[in-house]
Amino acid sequence: MFETHLNERGKQVDIPLVLAILALMCIGVTFIFSAAYANESARNLPLFHQLYFRQVLWYTIGVGAALFLCFVDYRSWARWSFVGYWLIIIVLLLVLIPGIGVTRFGARRWIDLGFFQFQPSEFAKIAIIFAQANFLSRPAEELRQLRVFLKSLGMTAIPFVFILLEPDLGSALVLFPITFVMMFVAGVPKSFLVKLIGGTSIVIALLLVDILFAPPQWQIKLEEYQRHRLLTYFGISFAPKDATPEQKKKADALQRAKSYNVEQALISVGSGGLTGKGWRQGTQYSLGFLPRAVAHNDFIFSVIAEEKGFVGSAFVIVLYTVILFSGIKIAGQARDRLGKLLAAGVIAMLFSHVFINIGMNIRLMPVTGIPLPLLSYGGSSVLCSLIAIGILQNVYMYRRSY
Amino acid sequence: MLVFDQLKRDDRRLQVIAAGILLGMLVLMVGLWWVQIVSSKRYEANLKNQSFRSVRVPALRGDIYDRNGKVLAENRPRYDVNFYLEEILDYSRFMFTNNVVPEYRASNPDIKKIPGKVYSTLILEARYRAVSNITHRVTSTLDQPHILEPKRFFDHLVNYPYMPFPIAHNLTLQQVAIFSEQFNAIRGLELEVRPIRSYPNGATAAHLLGRVQRDDRPDGDEQIAFKYYLPDFAGRTGMEGLFDSELRGKAGVKSLLVNNVGYRQSEEIVSQTKPGKNLSLTIDLELQAAAEKALAGAQAKVQGAVVVMNVRNGDVLALVSLPTFDPNAFPNGISHADWARLNDEKYSHIFNRATYGAYAPGSIFKIITAVAILESGVDPKEKFTVESDPARPGKGAYYVGRRKIKDTAPSGEHDFERAFKLSSNSYFIHYGLQAGLPKLIEVGKRFHLGERTGAFPGQEPFTDYPTSQQGWSAGDIANLCIGQGKVSVTPLQMACMTAAIANGGRILYPRLVKSVDGNPLDDTYRQGVRTNLKLNSRHVDTIQRAMLADVVDTREGTGRAAYIPNFHVGGKTGTAEVQKAGRMDTITWFASYGPFEDPKYAVVVMVESGASGGGTCAPVARKIYEAIQKREGTTPNFASLNLD
Repeated sequence: MFETHLNERGKQVDIPLVLAILALMCIGVTFIFSAAYANESARNLPLFHQLYFRQVLWYTIGVGAALFLCFVDYRSWARWSFVGYWLIIIVLLLVLIPGIGVTRFGARRWIDLGFFQFQPSEFAKIAIIFAQANFLSRPAEELRQLRVFLKSLGMTAIPFVFILLEPDLGSALVLFPITFVMMFVAGVPKSFLVKLIGGTSIVIALLLVDILFAPPQWQIKLEEYQRHRLLTYFGISFAPKDATPEQKKKADALQRAKSYNVEQALISVGSGGLTGKGWRQGTQYSLGFLPRAVAHNDFIFSVIAEEKGFVGSAFVIVLYTVILFSGIKIAGQARDRLGKLLAAGVIAMLFSHVFINIGMNIRLMPVTGIPLPLLSYGGSSVLCSLIAIGILQNVYMYRRSY
Repeated sequence: MLVFDQLKRDDRRLQVIAAGILLGMLVLMVGLWWVQIVSSKRYEANLKNQSFRSVRVPALRGDIYDRNGKVLAENRPRYDVNFYLEEILDYSRFMFTNNVVPEYRASNPDIKKIPGKVYSTLILEARYRAVSNITHRVTSTLDQPHILEPKRFFDHLVNYPYMPFPIAHNLTLQQVAIFSEQFNAIRGLELEVRPIRSYPNGATAAHLLGRVQRDDRPDGDEQIAFKYYLPDFAGRTGMEGLFDSELRGKAGVKSLLVNNVGYRQSEEIVSQTKPGKNLSLTIDLELQAAAEKALAGAQAKVQGAVVVMNVRNGDVLALVSLPTFDPNAFPNGISHADWARLNDEKYSHIFNRATYGAYAPGSIFKIITAVAILESGVDPKEKFTVESDPARPGKGAYYVGRRKIKDTAPSGEHDFERAFKLSSNSYFIHYGLQAGLPKLIEVGKRFHLGERTGAFPGQEPFTDYPTSQQGWSAGDIANLCIGQGKVSVTPLQMACMTAAIANGGRILYPRLVKSVDGNPLDDTYRQGVRTNLKLNSRHVDTIQRAMLADVVDTREGTGRAAYIPNFHVGGKTGTAEVQKAGRMDTITWFASYGPFEDPKYAVVVMVESGASGGGTCAPVARKIYEAIQKREGTTPNFASLNLD
């Protein structure tokens, strides 16, 4: 066994990983087609404006980027990680400037590049993974120093604050599980991590109690829609306790409107049953109950679940599981701690996205704008997901083959 | 395997991550299983509830025929122009940007950004204008009134956007042709044909047929929560009311698929309608029309009734009530003014006098008194001397205690027959009092007076007849003997009574319905012999001969106006004096049957405020018998008149 490894140059690609990615991309195109085709006016658009075609383009570009990434050893890329990190910080700053950043749905998250609405917060995740991997791959003794721990934490905190300002609470929060998993895998002492978890839990708990239950003048200023999402998630009435019947009626109506997407997503998923209604037979988005604006991106999973039922959604979960466990395998086989950390970061990012997005479709998680990797429509998301996969593949290619 | 290999790694921390991820994926899997397998029924129900609308589709109402299969009530097509609101969207968007918004901006030049509230009212305004424009084009071309009430339109738009909106009603065939030619290509416009109740004979037999009303919310035994009800008709009175459930059939269900704003996407028939059953009545349309004509000619502004009954089996051959109405006025909806006119308290057109009117019988009640007298043992040959009335020389009078009861019959000696044909009050009061109230009560009970005939459940009145002697003075009893005072009857009851004398003593159930879809009625509607009176045949013979004498004695019989040389009729006249609105009024009657030799028909005529039974009603009966005679004359034998 030892000799065979020694003599073998090692496989170039991780077959299960690649197969799972290909399968997810096929599913993505198929169901974006389904979701968009229901809209009559969208059906008559020229090919280039068809969502499914654009998704194919993004897949192509993404796969190209991933392949390009694999030409060079990840250790060489990692040398540029701090440049990349500060570059993305600048972009995150730029996006906050009116005139450069584009506002949609009340949040300034995009930079319009003409052909492409660039969402820097997605790329910030990749930058963080590289920067943290580079930073945390130092000798184990140094990781025991509080100074290093705080530095690492600060590295995540800066983009976190900027993304929060957009505002995009979901994307900002995802940075933390990534950082935490990378610290954990790097070997940061458990005592630090326990304190970190404990501290954040207490802060989050206090925040939630404040937001959900405190009288208005005591509440932390949160965007109204964020508060509403949280109230919806926890099933708490929008109306304050001392509301007049009139106000209560109004608040209830607002609550119904706000929880509409989740309700409809649940109906989509639930009505799919065991085997679903069949491809392009789903009624929830074609009749417009599941809003057309979100059916092909944040809520693509409910389209799949409605049309393919539990069988289909379980299959999607299995595909993600294959990707994630291939990632763990790759992390385990990495030739150095840098590779292992890169792989761990990618796994953490993909897992967070999958869990939050699917969880949101079945009301396990509050609604956030977190896309489902590879399935949701969107250039930034697809590009980042494929670059992340490219990183995994890179680590796999240059693993220890001795 | 990939998953378990990773869980067994030697790297503790990666192992923990792998376990965490596996746990997370399992949580998602369980969550999905819960939503998609365990609770899927609930979500499917939610989905159905929000995306399907059940619409009730009424069944085709059954026809009503007379005994010979002539149509009395049917359905004719009615043409409406409908507009499908989901087709308006493009046009209303156009109206919005090119019409409504520029106008708003012109009148509010300061406002840069239209506030949300105004915006939504402007959208509604654009919808209204779009529909209004189209409606205007259609109605002006078709020369129809252009009515588009905003309230009705918005109600429809908000509550039933998935249902077509009617914009023109009740098109003539000419308008249908114009519409098909000019508006065929316009999307969303549709010519809808739906059945509407029609009565080809107009007012003929209106009371018997009854009327229907538009019924937008029928409460039946349907299990489905309908969101929309297509217009249906509900029978309100007469046969339409009585046999409503049979005529109506079973409504079908249509399920509409709607989108998130409620517009129709597609539709599907969930259950077919089951057409209503056809009803064959016992009446003969021609005889009915003849009877109506005869009654209408009795006097000016007739308020009265006629019942023609087959004395052998109880079939009602004609049932007339005047004044009448045109039931065709109701299916399309009747105006308040028209309704008020028809339902006038003093001169009601709607009221069915033949079955629902309770009147003092007057002297035709002497038939009952006669049975009581004869059964109490009075010899019909026995002579009774009527005292003369000092105030009216030649006329008789009778004294009960200190009260004088006038007699239209002359003073002098009367046997039964003479007293009957001259309608002597004195004779019938004298022997009636002698027979006594208990006997009168007993006979009346046998004739089912004071009871409903059962022919018209729910549409027969309470009628007066004594049940005990309590509170009855001699004067009251004297009044009862001549059909005045505390006794009331319906023309239909009197037809049953007359038929019983004619057929030798059997009270029959009046039969109005011959068959439902060719099948005889079930047991809820009783028919045939109700009671065998067990009358002594000599008594029957005596009364029959007296009735014949009343008509054929063309010199002094009170019913002589009903005399037909070759068709012998027996009858009894009646003129009851009643208080009506503070003054004396009359109810005049003629109860008769014929032919005398082989009785077949009982004809009872009642006219309110008539001059006298003999003068007002007997001629009506004669005309009806002439019509019967003519029908029988044109057919070689009686059987072909279809009396079975």
